[in-house]
Amino acid sequence: MLDDRMIRQLLMRAAARDDGSAAAFESLYKQCAPLLLGVARRIVGRRELAEEIVHDSFVKIWRLAESFDPLATQPVAWMIAIVRNRAIDVQSSHDVSRVDYYQNDDSGEPEGALDRLFDWSAAPGEREDQRRTTQWLRECLGELPAAERQSLVLAYDRGLSHHDLAAHMDKPLGTVKGWIRRGMAHLRGCLESRMGAAS
Amino acid sequence: MKIAGQPCLDALCGEYLLGTLRGAPRRRFERALREEPQAALRLRHWQRFFTPRHTPVIDTQPTARSWQRLEDELELARYRTPWHRRLAFWRGWAAAATFALLLTLGVQTLRTTQTPATAEIAQLAGTAAPQVSAGLTHDGRTIELRALRPVLAGPAQSYELWLIPAEGGNPVSLAVLGSLDARFDVPAAQVGRLKSGAKLAVSVEPAGGAPAGKPTGPVILAGAINL
Repeated sequence: MLDDRMIRQLLMRAAARDDGSAAAFESLYKQCAPLLLGVARRIVGRRELAEEIVHDSFVKIWRLAESFDPLATQPVAWMIAIVRNRAIDVQSSHDVSRVDYYQNDDSGEPEGALDRLFDWSAAPGEREDQRRTTQWLRECLGELPAAERQSLVLAYDRGLSHHDLAAHMDKPLGTVKGWIRRGMAHLRGCLESRMGAAS
Repeated sequence: MKIAGQPCLDALCGEYLLGTLRGAPRRRFERALREEPQAALRLRHWQRFFTPRHTPVIDTQPTARSWQRLEDELELARYRTPWHRRLAFWRGWAAAATFALLLTLGVQTLRTTQTPATAEIAQLAGTAAPQVSAGLTHDGRTIELRALRPVLAGPAQSYELWLIPAEGGNPVSLAVLGSLDARFDVPAAQVGRLKSGAKLAVSVEPAGGAPAGKPTGPVILAGAINL
């Protein structure tokens, strides 16, 4: 598990643009590239394409490091977002038909799929409120109707578009869009009620 | 059009994080994030809870060349500690310098031991100085003087070694010395003339040697060459 505090320090060292920046960036790469490559690969399916996406993303991370706000964002999530956005763009421009790959791991029993894809355990050095938020996300996803949960997880983990989802789930586009919209609304409602109950 | 006040803001945030917001709508949303602090704040609220962590199961090792390619493209060498300021470099340098020193010492020791040996050709004796042994290398080109005990010339003096040829004639200067322990090359013209019947003598001369090319001071040592 990547340590957000250490990743944040490495990012800031890279952003300093001094004698130690290259070494810090290299350390950042060595630690994060496997995860980011895994994220990209799940979205585009092809390894060589995923390598290109991670390469482009690290070029962007190096350039954006100076504007990274260390107080506001979780650095690993920040990097994952960069990779995911890039992968989603590449995937739509490559028009890769990949929906067939997902039959096995996501459509079966939803509880298991959630745990296979995501790590819900507490990370070292994680604050109590972060740990609780992770726990709530796991619970709220579990409480969603199966179709909504499945569309959300496929869209997030596999970077599927509305169209991909509609084709994969063999449902009209409007239905899938409705699942996504309602799924996210339910998720937010569930999470906010837990946050409200806790505070 | 401002997004911040719209009822769809939460839906947009959700779909943005999920990745289903694409193309022109995503670009519009990203512009709004830059321009409308309220929109950025709302997204941050969403990010607080919607950032599931992937399990390490999905980790995929990049190929070996991938980092090098990135380093080259970003020209990261500019942001590395220069070689002369790196501690490891100086550690390496110290090791290398020590090694070089040892090598030099070794070579010099070797050289000393490889110095061609001399054979004694004369014993020089006198009342005013300790006995000196004169040796000559096998090729006849190098003389070595060894005093019984070390003797140095005074500040205003030099010792001068003379060859008195076997066939007679004037003494020929072989060397001007500061010490009676010395090793030096025989002047080219005299090579072959240090032979039985000739004599060696040492005189005390002004510093720098006899001014006129012939002995002026007292002769303190003398001996016949006997090959």
